[in-house]
Amino acid sequence: MSDKRIPVSKSDTLMNDEMLSSLRPPGLAWYALIAFLGAVVAWGLFAFGYQITRGMYVTGLDRPVMWGLYIVNFVFWVGLSHSGTMVSAILRLSQANWRRPILRAAEAMTVFSISVAGLFPLIHLGRNWVFFYLIPYPNQRGLWPNFRSPLLWDAMAITTYIIGSVLFLYLGMLPDLAVVRDRSSGWRHALFRLLALGWRGTAHEWTVYHKASTLMAALIIPVAVSVHSIVAWDFAVTVVPGWHSTIFPPYFVIGAILSGVAAVITLMIIIRRAFHLEEYLTPLHFDNMGKLLLVISLLWSYAYFVEVQTTWYAHEPIEWEVFSFMSGRYTVPLLVMLLGNSLLPITALCFKRVRRSIGAMLVITLLVNVGMLIERFLIIVPSLSHKNMPFVWGSYRPSWVELSITAAAFAGFALLYAFFVKLFPMVALSDVRELEARSVSVPLGRAELPSIAGKE
Amino acid sequence: MEKLTSPYKWGMVIDLDRCTGCGACVVACQAENNVAICDKKEIAEGRNMHWLRIERFWVGEYPDVRVRFLPVMCQHCHDAPCEPVCPVYASYHNPDGLNGQVYNRCVGTRYCGNNCPYAVRVFNFYQHEWPKPLENQLSPDITVRPRGVMEKCSFCIQRIRRVKETAKGEGRLIRDGEVQPACAQTCPAEALTFGNMADPESRAARLARSPRGFQLLEQLGTHPSVIYLKGGGREHVG
Amino acid sequence: MEILGVFADVESAGRAVDGLLGEGFTEAQVTSLSSVPYPDGVLAKTGRHNTWFHWLALLGGIGGACAGFLLAAGTAWVYPVQTGDKPIIALYPTAIVTYEFTMLFAMIGAIVGMLLEMKLPSLKKRLYDPAIAEGCIGISLSIHPGGEAVICEAGVRPEECIGPVSSLSAAEQKERAEEVMRAAGVLRIIGEVQP
Repeated sequence: MSDKRIPVSKSDTLMNDEMLSSLRPPGLAWYALIAFLGAVVAWGLFAFGYQITRGMYVTGLDRPVMWGLYIVNFVFWVGLSHSGTMVSAILRLSQANWRRPILRAAEAMTVFSISVAGLFPLIHLGRNWVFFYLIPYPNQRGLWPNFRSPLLWDAMAITTYIIGSVLFLYLGMLPDLAVVRDRSSGWRHALFRLLALGWRGTAHEWTVYHKASTLMAALIIPVAVSVHSIVAWDFAVTVVPGWHSTIFPPYFVIGAILSGVAAVITLMIIIRRAFHLEEYLTPLHFDNMGKLLLVISLLWSYAYFVEVQTTWYAHEPIEWEVFSFMSGRYTVPLLVMLLGNSLLPITALCFKRVRRSIGAMLVITLLVNVGMLIERFLIIVPSLSHKNMPFVWGSYRPSWVELSITAAAFAGFALLYAFFVKLFPMVALSDVRELEARSVSVPLGRAELPSIAGKE
Repeated sequence: MEKLTSPYKWGMVIDLDRCTGCGACVVACQAENNVAICDKKEIAEGRNMHWLRIERFWVGEYPDVRVRFLPVMCQHCHDAPCEPVCPVYASYHNPDGLNGQVYNRCVGTRYCGNNCPYAVRVFNFYQHEWPKPLENQLSPDITVRPRGVMEKCSFCIQRIRRVKETAKGEGRLIRDGEVQPACAQTCPAEALTFGNMADPESRAARLARSPRGFQLLEQLGTHPSVIYLKGGGREHVG
Repeated sequence: MEILGVFADVESAGRAVDGLLGEGFTEAQVTSLSSVPYPDGVLAKTGRHNTWFHWLALLGGIGGACAGFLLAAGTAWVYPVQTGDKPIIALYPTAIVTYEFTMLFAMIGAIVGMLLEMKLPSLKKRLYDPAIAEGCIGISLSIHPGGEAVICEAGVRPEECIGPVSSLSAAEQKERAEEVMRAAGVLRIIGEVQP
């Protein structure tokens, strides 16, 4: 690597200042953003209230399309939540140093998107007010959930993933919380003193901390894989043509990582711009993330090809019917999906100049996620529209209620993120400063220390 | 864990040669089971609540066009895809081989509706009202389902229950023909025959052994309790 | 009794540690406080590379596996409802639920174990200086006055806990340590409030 990421001579205080710049009192723009996002969320809540009081008929669902945009959203948001694990855990285990400024953004994104995802199955219920029937606790109604249902596996997996990713985020943030504690006053100081748990950064604490980070990274990756596999099994274990496919779990996991990595890049661009972190999030980071995206896009294309080509060759009537219906009825979305997930990333990201261009990366990553949203829709809806009994074939068009709630999900995610950015350190500053402190090979303290900066 | 056994395996035989497509079964079912009355809008949206539908197919080219009817209700599969996917056991298998649905348990995930290959499960998208004086004909034997709940044909389980109790009181098994669901009872052409498939001498079991017999979507391995007898129109003779 | 010297950079802190050791204090008495991790031995030597918290993660995993199995298979067994000709205790669903619980409790075990091993959250107020967040290095020395029973931490041999200087009085030890720190270029020294 040729370019310097961080000027070597920066003092720690200056780096703290720069990396914690997001914690400064918010400006008018932030309040305007909060007001706007809050309004969209409020509109979504109104739509949800409307759905609860009126009935499920306010959605576009009918027989046979009993699952629609809510489940599309569910799968999409679970997919986005794979960003943190992929970028943070895998890169941590492989000791890729360029991950350092990105990890916090990715880990926080995991927590918020899995939280948003977890709401959709509940929003989707016909009787949301009895959602507690799904929770296994002893009760007088003689009710107990059925653990043979994939929906229960979903519930278990998402609970595990929410708790795991919150712990992972918190673990990564612990030393940074101590730094914020030392630099803040008033209620913030009280809050961070509580959250930092009295962390002092003793040699012993750091030793244990590093081992714990590695262990947690190793533990959360198999959880992430299982989460999206289970989401895929919601579809794959059924007898619905187009859903019942053995490739679904790995295909979904790859898709999840694709949308997750793309979303992390999008967020990096926004954060970089909003908080002037140009010196920490350099074209090098976008270059590396671009390579990652390229590889995953290739994998996704492979999985998609395998899925479609086996169906095409076997030409089983009902499965083929689903595919031809999908490609006939949804031709334009299908083409956008193929462009966004496959053609565009694979061709464009081969070029270093594109990977290092922030504007190009923004366009590509946004298109990837548009493509992924379409992909979820094209998996779920056409299969249900043309199931086994031709007499009850139907179609689906999302209603304003579903669209409003979808918009509210995006706004809610952004809202949570906006609050998070103002309250918590947005860049993993201990990690970045560690790299900075060790970027040159010097006699450090009592020992001679080799530089670790060269290990990209 | 006791083994769930029963001397009954309820099943139905539908003779497509006899079906005239009159729709009496649909009406009878609606009257018997408190099936909601849907307005035009609901039906246009594909949200009608019929537990039993008559599928109508046109066969042949003009002028030699024939119409074929296929009454489809819940097939009460022995390997029902709808049952294991329900997270709250609202859909379960009863010892008599019936595919039960507990309305009060249902939370409305609609997973069963997706996984039913026959698409016979209907969902209460609307809160249904019975216009006066129709509410007087609501059967007290069955729950009136609220909105947000999945429902479907039960083979008129309330009738089976009642006869079962009578038989139990008299210390015997249910006799063949003693119980019939509303659709079978109403069918003027006697196309529908209901009975105990576990009893090889029952009328339904005897009819089911006909070489004309087939099951819907047999290849899925759902093992339905409903046996169709192939309609033998001219178009098959060639 | 503990004193904390705050140093502007790693070099001076390293000199101070060398000085303290030369004075007769042991590695176990000296620890470094920093906002950035340095490899073991650059400042203080913890001398312990064996951590035990991951056993708690394993324990959590085993406990979680049992809980998951009992939840999926056990409750299905006591509450048997037949669905779709699937066995009451079905292999794959049980395996999936067991797996999720294993991972959940392993992760919780790892974090709880880590905090226990770090002895966090600490309820008592300990010596600290906010300047450490700005890149300063704290060198903390725990002083054991003569004759006082020295608590050795696990894995440290008793003779390592008590340095030769421990025969001196606490005040004298403190004075010597402060002298060493000043020579190394300490910014300020913070002492414990209560004896």
